[in-house]
Amino acid sequence: MATVDQSHTGALPPEVALVGTKNKSGSLQRQQRIWGWIFLSPWLIGFVIFTAAPIIASFIFTFTRFNLGDGSVTFVGLDNWKMLFSDPLTLTSLGVTFKFALIAIPFWLIVPILVASLLNSKSVKGKPLLRTLFYLPYIVPAVSAIFIWQSVMNTQAGWINRILRLLGVQDPPAWLQNESWILVAFMIIGLWGIGNAMLTTLATMQGVPTELYEAAEVDGAGPITKWRKITLPMISPVVFYNLVLLSIGVMNYFVVPYIVSRGTGQPGQSTYFFNMHLYKTAFAYGNMGYGATLAWLIFAICLLITIVLFATSRRWVYYSSGD
Amino acid sequence: MKSKALLFVIVALFSVLAFPALAQDGPTEITWFVGLGTGTDTAQLEVQQNVVDAFNASQSDIHVTLNIAPSFETAWDTFATLVAAGTPPDIVGPIGVGGSHRAEWLDIGPYIEELGIDLSVFDPSLVALYETANQGYSGLPLLVYPSVTYYNRDLFDEAGLNYPPAEFGAPYVWPDGTETPWDYNTLIEVAKVLTVDASGNDATSADLDTANIVQYGLNFQWARIRLIWTDLQPENTYYDAATNTVSMPDSWREASHWLQDAIWTHHVMPNRAAAVSEALGAGSDNIFQTGKLGMAITPLWYTCCIGNSVGNFEWDIAPVPASLDGEQHVAADADTFRIPASTQNPDAAAQFLYYLATVGIEQLAPAYGGMPALPDFADSYFEAKDAAYPWGVNWQVVIDSLEHTNSGSQHHESWLPNWSQVYDREFAFQTEVEGDTGADVDVDASLDQLIIDVQSIVDQPAS
Amino acid sequence: MAAASKEAKSVNTSPFYSHQLRKFAIISIMTMFTFMLVFLFLLPFANMSLISVKTTDQITEGATGLIWPMEPITFSYDGDGDGDLDVYDQFRVPMPDGTIMQLALVQPGRQTSQFLDTANPEAGLITWEGNWRGLDRVTELHPHFENFSTAWNMLDFPKVFRNTLVIALFGMVGTLLSSICVAYAFARFPIPGKNIWFIILIGTIILPSQVTLIPTYAFFAKIGWTGTWLPLIVPHFFANAFNVFLLRQFFMTLPRELDEAAMIDGAGPFKVLTSVIIPQSWAAIIAVGMFHIIFAWNDYFNPLIYLLGQPDLLPISVAVQQFNYQYGPRPELVQATSLMAMVLPVLLFLFAQKVFMRGVVITGVEK
Repeated sequence: MATVDQSHTGALPPEVALVGTKNKSGSLQRQQRIWGWIFLSPWLIGFVIFTAAPIIASFIFTFTRFNLGDGSVTFVGLDNWKMLFSDPLTLTSLGVTFKFALIAIPFWLIVPILVASLLNSKSVKGKPLLRTLFYLPYIVPAVSAIFIWQSVMNTQAGWINRILRLLGVQDPPAWLQNESWILVAFMIIGLWGIGNAMLTTLATMQGVPTELYEAAEVDGAGPITKWRKITLPMISPVVFYNLVLLSIGVMNYFVVPYIVSRGTGQPGQSTYFFNMHLYKTAFAYGNMGYGATLAWLIFAICLLITIVLFATSRRWVYYSSGD
Repeated sequence: MKSKALLFVIVALFSVLAFPALAQDGPTEITWFVGLGTGTDTAQLEVQQNVVDAFNASQSDIHVTLNIAPSFETAWDTFATLVAAGTPPDIVGPIGVGGSHRAEWLDIGPYIEELGIDLSVFDPSLVALYETANQGYSGLPLLVYPSVTYYNRDLFDEAGLNYPPAEFGAPYVWPDGTETPWDYNTLIEVAKVLTVDASGNDATSADLDTANIVQYGLNFQWARIRLIWTDLQPENTYYDAATNTVSMPDSWREASHWLQDAIWTHHVMPNRAAAVSEALGAGSDNIFQTGKLGMAITPLWYTCCIGNSVGNFEWDIAPVPASLDGEQHVAADADTFRIPASTQNPDAAAQFLYYLATVGIEQLAPAYGGMPALPDFADSYFEAKDAAYPWGVNWQVVIDSLEHTNSGSQHHESWLPNWSQVYDREFAFQTEVEGDTGADVDVDASLDQLIIDVQSIVDQPAS
Repeated sequence: MAAASKEAKSVNTSPFYSHQLRKFAIISIMTMFTFMLVFLFLLPFANMSLISVKTTDQITEGATGLIWPMEPITFSYDGDGDGDLDVYDQFRVPMPDGTIMQLALVQPGRQTSQFLDTANPEAGLITWEGNWRGLDRVTELHPHFENFSTAWNMLDFPKVFRNTLVIALFGMVGTLLSSICVAYAFARFPIPGKNIWFIILIGTIILPSQVTLIPTYAFFAKIGWTGTWLPLIVPHFFANAFNVFLLRQFFMTLPRELDEAAMIDGAGPFKVLTSVIIPQSWAAIIAVGMFHIIFAWNDYFNPLIYLLGQPDLLPISVAVQQFNYQYGPRPELVQATSLMAMVLPVLLFLFAQKVFMRGVVITGVEK
């Protein structure tokens, strides 16, 4: 949240000044406030209907067994919460999700930085074209992208394995049918979505004052030292922001495994992600009460992750001391 | 404030656009949901649409709309969500025995009387499949699909092999005249000769290049694991209702090892990756249809989906091999149409069900590939099939197979609690063995884990 | 540090021409490397395009080796003398005398196979010893562009496009109206507890959507909106954190003097918004509009659950997925529909990439 605070407070002074000039008349001030509430109301109403009320409702649902079809609701106390521990699939699906987080997040975090660094380098020509091309797959609808990649990752005919065989790999893996490789395959598919992270990182890099680099050069710093000592700290807030979004995103990961495994989590249970478990429980097995419990579990985990990330951010995220 | 007014206008406009049906007055609208069994193949879609159009034209009180689920794997999710949202379809099918455990169905007992349906024309054992706990009926026996061995004659010719036996009890005759019983061991040996790599070595040779197999000997086309187990040995000890416990029959352990060996030791069965590869399965797993599979063991519904074989190769059917106990057992699927208990139009749905069972079935049975349960329609069924596959398929095998079908308690889709979740968990075991790392799976440990997980699913309160 | 500085100095003292040469070499290598990288990155598009113009047979036959849409050349002849023409594949067969003949395969076998000479079929069958699987097939280049029109008709693209556009455009109108208002409120008005409201707004970005999913679904089911487009459109009339943030950041860069001048002329807050703020903010507004269209084009989960059982209302994402499940055995159609589904968002992006990328940078960097 610190990153958010920064821009916010940075923007405050002119507004305060304005309020100050209008402060002469109390009624004008009040009128302004009313107008403020009116303009804010779409979000306030939406927040209550689509965020606050559902969060509370889903918490209440965790103590019930209810059927949307006939509208019956039974209170079952803590049964759903106890089931979290007896249901083998909860642990399995959490395991899959965390394993994937460990595999995917480092790549999804670092690759955009590396690409942005290349595109920020003075030694690379044709940058506008390159930037557009690297961004392009981000625009491709996920469903299209998944079918495109399924074909590329086909065991025999897929281009990845053809290239690997050309490079001398005798027995390349069946990417999407192999329990060990399929999560790597999903990570690779996800690299098509680096566009936004790459672009924001690049923009931040371009915003680093050139005097900093010039001063470093005077001190005799080479390109790698400059990158490590100046670029990296300056982009750390963006990296942090991306890390938070990625962590939440992985906990929500659904579309790719659902389409690739046709909702089964195959091979074995290797792609039975937590969100798929939730979807199956609530919608396919019709157990909405337990589904809500699973949702609250993931909510709590996300909250915990966010708090931990923000708590540790002070150690490695560099914030310039305001404007 | 103008923006708010605009907002409401747009919302209102949309409500009108979204509910054109409400404004109309007319026939009862009912939906027929397809996808929980067969019925989603392109050719079938057309036949189903014809049946619906004919029914809609035949009367003016009921208007039927088809709703096709896109894939078998996700069809149940779709159906369950529709029911959960309070917008259930009115009639569902074709749907197998397992389907009865996955949702609540309307008891059509009262309608059987009202519509004048004579149950005595059906085989009593088939009628029994649809009996509900309260002595009602959730469906009419409509289609039976015994398992058979499909084989590609051209590939047998190319390999210089004799065809599988045409009758139950007959042995398999090798080219040199020796005879071996038609069982799952012989099946593997035949399949080895039919499994060939890119340079022409077959699976009897040590030189077989397992990474470049271009033709496989055997597959249980589209069969889920419990059907494969039951093919190898029917058992009724998997789930004991009296004690609510699940256990793994020894024969199913043996069958699981047999499956793992067939795929990973003998390489005669395609693994998952091969089955969905573009070369063999054309990107899906319909590998028999591409002409690159020697034999497929699967129920009769598979005749739905080998239309593309016409002109490319000739196939035929043979009895399934004898099970592990040396006896002949045939695992059969049986399909019907069911009415969800939560339908809002039970009368209209029952009328349409009656139409499907008595009129529509004549066109539908050949399209679905199922043998009609009503004997009256058997002849027209075989005629239609002969017209589709004009080289002469040995349909007598189907009739003979019906005499060997398993009892209800041994059915591969017999009931246990939280059936859908068990079904999904069983499938995870299957994909574990068929997946790319299946060779390294410790089958016994994996089965032990399966039983532990299934037991805990069975122990959960029904959802 | 010491080593690095020594090296840097040695570069600086090198003669001018060699310095230039070195710089040129670095630029060439780095640029080539980056283009290689982007080439690999985009390679799947090439695979998709090639598969989309093949036939299923071309895919199964070519899968082990061929990349281009090659089609086997067949030979039609009444080989078995039953009066009907039979179709045989042709192969390049090395003959015992060392020549290579183009022959049609009539009866394949493990040790020997029977062929016909295409130039002289009357001469009868030629028995060839060897393994026919090792022979080269005779093929020609034959792309099948008609796959696109086949897929277009089978999936009923006009209907699917209409559905997607209606959902996307109404949602866009909704999110623009509401987000502009809310951003205006945050940028210009003294609302009590504004900082806290703003933090809550931004906090919704990191709220996992599952936690609200089930009650929201239950709510829409209760009021009978499942199976309609309403759950996909109406929530966008209540603003969204990303869009509000982008617009607010943009509004705050606008000078207040113009607002004040308009107010002195008697304009109310609403008039200021429509006549001062919006006319200056088209870049940001267009970016938000485009984000929404891309989002709606891409959104899979919501249409999946809310439009279940309504095949006629499906937008492109779910329709393409369902079509591709149904026609899995036709990879060429799968790839053709995937390609057609991405054309519009990609074109939109290419035409307005400046505005688009700027919007991304504002939301991503300034937080």
